[in-house]
Amino acid sequence: MYYPEPTTIWESIQYSPLGIFIAESTWAFPTIETIHVIALVTVLGTIFVMDLRLLGVASKNYPITSMSRDTLKWTWGGFILAAITGTLLYISKTSSYMINPFFMGKMALLAIAGLNMAYFHSVTWKTVAEWDTSPVVPTGAKVAGITSLLFWITIVFFGRAIGFTLGIYDCYMVGQGDDGFVVSLLAGMACGGA
Amino acid sequence: MGDLLFNITDWMRGTVLLDWAFWMQETAFSLFMVENFWNVPIAQAIHILSIGAAFGSVLMVVLRVNGMAGAGLTFEQTAARFVPWVRWGLVVIVLSGLSMIMAEPVRNMINAVFWIKMIALIAMVLVSLSWIKSIRATAQAAGVGYVGTGGAKATGWLIMALWCLIIVCGRWIAYVPV
Repeated sequence: MYYPEPTTIWESIQYSPLGIFIAESTWAFPTIETIHVIALVTVLGTIFVMDLRLLGVASKNYPITSMSRDTLKWTWGGFILAAITGTLLYISKTSSYMINPFFMGKMALLAIAGLNMAYFHSVTWKTVAEWDTSPVVPTGAKVAGITSLLFWITIVFFGRAIGFTLGIYDCYMVGQGDDGFVVSLLAGMACGGA
Repeated sequence: MGDLLFNITDWMRGTVLLDWAFWMQETAFSLFMVENFWNVPIAQAIHILSIGAAFGSVLMVVLRVNGMAGAGLTFEQTAARFVPWVRWGLVVIVLSGLSMIMAEPVRNMINAVFWIKMIALIAMVLVSLSWIKSIRATAQAAGVGYVGTGGAKATGWLIMALWCLIIVCGRWIAYVPV
């Protein structure tokens, strides 16, 4: 199949041999996407278990350090697998994803959810010995739990929305009507040089 | 494999399933699902979130049986914490799944992978119920020191594999040749 000469860095990624292979193959995209879903339900499931403990909704008498030990390795394993498969999916349609507000929103939320987790484990976690076995946890830990739940619920919705809106946003259609603030902003980055 | 699945789907086109699918397509609920652009993605997001809740809970029970989580808890304590989340998770999975079927009845009902998914789902529920029942019969005496037998551990991983198979089918409904 013929591909145009890339005019942006995103098109260079998309029209790389790997990007073209994933896009053209009948089985590659669905297979990678399936692994992505299995990885992300592992991440979601284990995060929910930890968040509900932090919120005092479930497992109230189980030590938080034990809960963290039970779940965290699965969360990280699932996350790494989801990141690898997600990157491969991204390579196959890079320029479409770069101008998609739901994709960029999902990436931003993933970054914020990561910072939330990093803050919790580096700052709030310092005093965990004091509330490890208590059903009541400090406000900081509760905030980490509820924001994590909300971020991940939104990440899943945005993830699904990407698949439904891929054809809607396109560099070739920018500037031909009212694009809205977000799309215009993304177009500056996604369509540069085009 | 693709040919076999296509032939099964093609055979389904000649059965009463097609009449049912056409009938479902005309219902008020089906029309409601397709008239708003966001209804299907929202149903799918709820479907994935409830799968996450149930999948994570099953994983925690399987890990407990394998002695890889829930240290210091009896099997009964672990089951009391997680089994309701699996049960209610499955209720939400089925309801959100039904709304997705109603949105696109022909695409789902006339699809070999969809029916493989349904068979795998029923198999997973039956295996899980008998697994929990047999563990309960033996775990009580062992208390917090309970660790599953080789068979109980392996069946736990089989249940996780069935969940993964259901997820695989769920994604491939959209891609299988029909």
